[in-house]
Amino acid sequence: MTSSEYGVGIGWRPEIAGFVAELPGLRFAEVVAESVPARGDLPPGLDELRDRGVAVVPHGVRLSLGGADPVEPERVQHLAAVADRLGAPLVSEHIAFVRAAGVEAGHLLPLPRSREAVDAVVANVRRTQAALDVPIALEPIAALFDWPDDELDEGAFLTEILDRTGALLLLDVANVYANARNRGTDPAELLDHLPLGRVAYVHVAGGAEHGGLYHDTHTDAVPRPVLDLLAELCARHRPPAVLLERDGDYPPAAELRDELDAIAKASGYPAVT
Amino acid sequence: MKDHDAQPGGSVASLRERQAGLVEALTSGGPVPQGFDARLVDAARVALLRKRAGEVARQWPSLAAAFGERWVPEFARWAARRPTQGALRDGWDLARELAAGGDLPAVAGAELAIREAGWRYDGGTAPRVRRAPAIRSAAGSVAIQIAGRVRVVRPVRRP
Repeated sequence: MTSSEYGVGIGWRPEIAGFVAELPGLRFAEVVAESVPARGDLPPGLDELRDRGVAVVPHGVRLSLGGADPVEPERVQHLAAVADRLGAPLVSEHIAFVRAAGVEAGHLLPLPRSREAVDAVVANVRRTQAALDVPIALEPIAALFDWPDDELDEGAFLTEILDRTGALLLLDVANVYANARNRGTDPAELLDHLPLGRVAYVHVAGGAEHGGLYHDTHTDAVPRPVLDLLAELCARHRPPAVLLERDGDYPPAAELRDELDAIAKASGYPAVT
Repeated sequence: MKDHDAQPGGSVASLRERQAGLVEALTSGGPVPQGFDARLVDAARVALLRKRAGEVARQWPSLAAAFGERWVPEFARWAARRPTQGALRDGWDLARELAAGGDLPAVAGAELAIREAGWRYDGGTAPRVRRAPAIRSAAGSVAIQIAGRVRVVRPVRRP
């Protein structure tokens, strides 16, 4: 991944499969790992994308790498099988937990930035790496709240997890923006404290404000400050790929094309539209 | 995984227990764990319900459409103390509950009848494809399934 540049990509979803199929310059896409069966037919459109030579990365959302309990082996095996059948150059997951005591949260939840949580994540990432033939990139999430007893700042927390696992970083600039905006801090400051050379690729997504808080919805347009933060990141150290995530309320194709073009412009990569 | 005997702030709960407490607050109406910003945790809880409503609407478009603009608040009210079982089952449980009370809108009847005819769902575990033929009705719609093919044979107007 680090040796080649893929440029601008998009998260493949069934609802926009036709749009993605017609992007002439596309070389990089992502698919929600849990939506791809380990055997049998691939979702329509996904195999054509792979046959075209587009790198398709499985993006896990249900492993719960940050859970206090060990990752479920069946989920890890599924991720490995999907990576294998897609010929993916890497996989990605989140630094988060999604269930506890058998109850599904239905969303990615933040961890305390504590040594105990670092140990839990590291153990689960290592269990996952043991089943994978390709590298894993870890994505820090957007969260509306923090735990009350953080021992580490965000940069130190993430860097320690990456150092101890050898994992790559999937940096979501929309998450960085959302967290900083809601905490009243400077989003560019976190970039100073992350190992930018370890960024495998970048996520860009839209959001909206509700009740005085910025929500990373993936169902709204990408706001200008997120594109500005992407430009700032690329000025410091441009990652090999930048990917638009859209998960619902899909706009007309022209609007999606404009967002991809804006991402290309902010990152300096060629347009894929 | 080891449990901490003590943590800064005097907490003795393990990460496992604390994660469980947080999930309970977000999905089951449990109290916000000590030390968290209650306003922010509640904002996350509400956002989670809004997200679930969107996911269920994608699986059950007729059900959501029947409620129009009231869909998100109605679903959120129903789901506030029910942790998700996945969007398919959440919508199924809600549709069945409405149908049992005679409150399932007619425009959402065919959607439920089709699923009931094609799948066996015990309300507690993942639905499974029916092998035997079945006829099911919901809110005035009747669906018939033979050899895996489901047709709505009688969308009936309500009196």
